[in-house]
Amino acid sequence: MLMVKGSSLICALLLISHQTFIYAAPMGFKGSTTTMSTISESYSSVESNYAITSKDSLGVKAYTSKGNGYKLRVGEIVYVRKLLRVNKMHSQTNLWLFTGAGTMSLERNVQNDDHLYLSPTLQFDYETKNVYGLISHQVLRVGHENFDTTKIEGGFSFYETSYNETQPWFILKAKNTNSIDNKNKYTPTLRFINKSIYGEVGVTTDGDPSFHLMYTF
Amino acid sequence: MKKVILIAALLFSSNSYALTQKIEVLGMVCAFCAQGIEKSFRSDENVKDIFVSLENYFVAIESNDGKIIDEKLIRTIITDAGYDVKKIEVVSDTVSEIRTKYDAK
Repeated sequence: MLMVKGSSLICALLLISHQTFIYAAPMGFKGSTTTMSTISESYSSVESNYAITSKDSLGVKAYTSKGNGYKLRVGEIVYVRKLLRVNKMHSQTNLWLFTGAGTMSLERNVQNDDHLYLSPTLQFDYETKNVYGLISHQVLRVGHENFDTTKIEGGFSFYETSYNETQPWFILKAKNTNSIDNKNKYTPTLRFINKSIYGEVGVTTDGDPSFHLMYTF
Repeated sequence: MKKVILIAALLFSSNSYALTQKIEVLGMVCAFCAQGIEKSFRSDENVKDIFVSLENYFVAIESNDGKIIDEKLIRTIITDAGYDVKKIEVVSDTVSEIRTKYDAK
């Protein structure tokens, strides 16, 4: 009963959470379901994926993105492949390939078009118990429009914790999406990790607050 | 060889000894990822107790039937969670005793 209530609470929190979207831990362990949500001034999404193997997950995602006169409404199927994982005693390094395929409703000024698309993303990340770094590039082209996105993130944990304690991190994120962002967006962020729950609170340098919550079932 | 002797000694000695397996895990640097290991082991009905030490990069498991858990199964669970096994050893402490020892540090 408590489990059901707990799960319902997490689902509710996910639905109301806000963030600048990241893919820090894009899939869980084999047989698990990872759910995440994004709602912000310029970007909102909800996504859930199931880890078919330790290296592959399949999921669905819906998001809206807007800026610079554009508004995108997207629904897609997402396949995640862990291309490389290097486990060392004090670190892990990952190379990921995300492939999104779906439909996009693209609105610009008074024009509104629907498109099918295929969008690959490559992500490299490195993590120890003290430092974290990520770089990713997504290719997203629709018609003559270019919505490619580049992200760079880096940060450190304030102190080490035991497995059952909440570990706080400071992460600085930089992001740019062609056509939508006029300039790079920077988001200083506090990250909190406690086993199944992964949360973030940040404020962009433009003053927009962002929140993130992710849960693995 | 040492492991075989230890296991044999423990099997033919008092029942108060536990057969706990201590697994050194490579890449286990974050609780969000490591919880996959705990959940997978807990879903095995033969696993009585588990302790995850992020600080010392190991997982300790104890079975319900007092026997050691198949190393192949252990390696599969750790690998499916995304990690690699560095070393598996059998120790005589219970998981509860290991938890107390490391939590006190």
